[in-house]
Amino acid sequence: MKTVTLDVNGKVFCLDVPDGELLIETLRDRLGLLGTKYSCLEGDCGVCTVLADGKNVLSCLMLTVEAEGRKIMTIEGLTQGSSLHPIQQAFIDEGAVQCGFCTPGMVLASKSLLDRCPLPTKEEIAHALDGNLCRCTGYVRIINAVLSAAQKMKKTS
Amino acid sequence: MPILKDFRYHAPVSVDEALALLRKCEKPVVLAGGTFVLNTLKKTAAYPTDVIGLRKIAPLHGIRDTARETAIGSMTTLAEIASSPVIREHFAVLAEAAARAATTPLRHMATIGGNVASRFFWVDLPVVLMALGAKAAWSGVKTKKTLTIEDFLALTGQEARGILTEIVLPKSGLTGVYFRHTQTIEVDVPIVAIAFAARRQADAVKDVRCIVNTTLSRPVRLAGTASYFETTDIKKWKAAEAAEALRGDLQQSKLDDYRLHCLCADLELLIGKFKQT
Repeated sequence: MKTVTLDVNGKVFCLDVPDGELLIETLRDRLGLLGTKYSCLEGDCGVCTVLADGKNVLSCLMLTVEAEGRKIMTIEGLTQGSSLHPIQQAFIDEGAVQCGFCTPGMVLASKSLLDRCPLPTKEEIAHALDGNLCRCTGYVRIINAVLSAAQKMKKTS
Repeated sequence: MPILKDFRYHAPVSVDEALALLRKCEKPVVLAGGTFVLNTLKKTAAYPTDVIGLRKIAPLHGIRDTARETAIGSMTTLAEIASSPVIREHFAVLAEAAARAATTPLRHMATIGGNVASRFFWVDLPVVLMALGAKAAWSGVKTKKTLTIEDFLALTGQEARGILTEIVLPKSGLTGVYFRHTQTIEVDVPIVAIAFAARRQADAVKDVRCIVNTTLSRPVRLAGTASYFETTDIKKWKAAEAAEALRGDLQQSKLDDYRLHCLCADLELLIGKFKQT
């Protein structure tokens, strides 16, 4: 066991975890952050995406002990008070959500992109979301949602 | 039920400390970005007793640039390589290969050290590094040495126990191009890939390196193909003749017809790209 100090969604947690525990297990099973999903567990599908220091990474491929010292953000940390983040709102407005299973990962990957590239092209969005699979929407509406969010966030800033 | 069986995790802060752990632990495994090792641990029967994470060893991170060479710390991620102004300026082909490998979240996690030291046949960077004449700085449990990428990939058993500390790229004025052939979408694992690098001099090329990733074995250096390009005027390069040289080089590799066909077509495409650079 190791004692780790984790910064998740701006809150600091001090936890005793087995050395081999994966970040996804800690987030879901210890902290109850269920927006991060279990799926392929091989790094292929992207539904376990979280942000580590602003970059989208896969929590099924990261040991919790290695997350110490990084600022982790899950989908639960994106909402600002009672209002949705502009990316979340754009996903709803553009109909980019169907079953919703991939959505937390898609939204976080989009946030990582827009933070470093505020006005991306469609190609840049597709490239940035290449690690997130969606079996429902066909990606068109997701890409439109990111374009729309980028425009709204530009106006706001 | 936990996804991984338990092990002892260590976070050394220096290469010497990591090497001491490698000597001391019963069945250790070295962890870089985690994208290969942690996936392997989910499936392997040969489970380690100890995992040695390199994340906290500061000298293994980042890119060091001098007038003669560029050294990339083994814990530098593929995303950092792809976006590095230094790498993009001096080794554009490496930046391109790093940008196309795997997917965005994996590029944020996977490291150049892990990509090379994993010795997986289908990874992207070793062929490009070989074409650019890169060297691997290797701290083995017994000795420290600098090896060509080919020699590094050939290490086995006790010899392969150690820490890859950095990849050193000489600034030799080579122009490189790379093509990875995937069957369906771009993010797939390639079925074959080729890297080509040479120094251009008017209508001729010197110092040609043509390296193939068959994805079935370690990268193969195509000496006959390189010789064809070196001894033939650029304007007289013919795809059919180059393909013949490539087939000759790969005669002993027992490569299937489909991969050979793809490689010949890819070489033609690559040469066209090289001419335009």
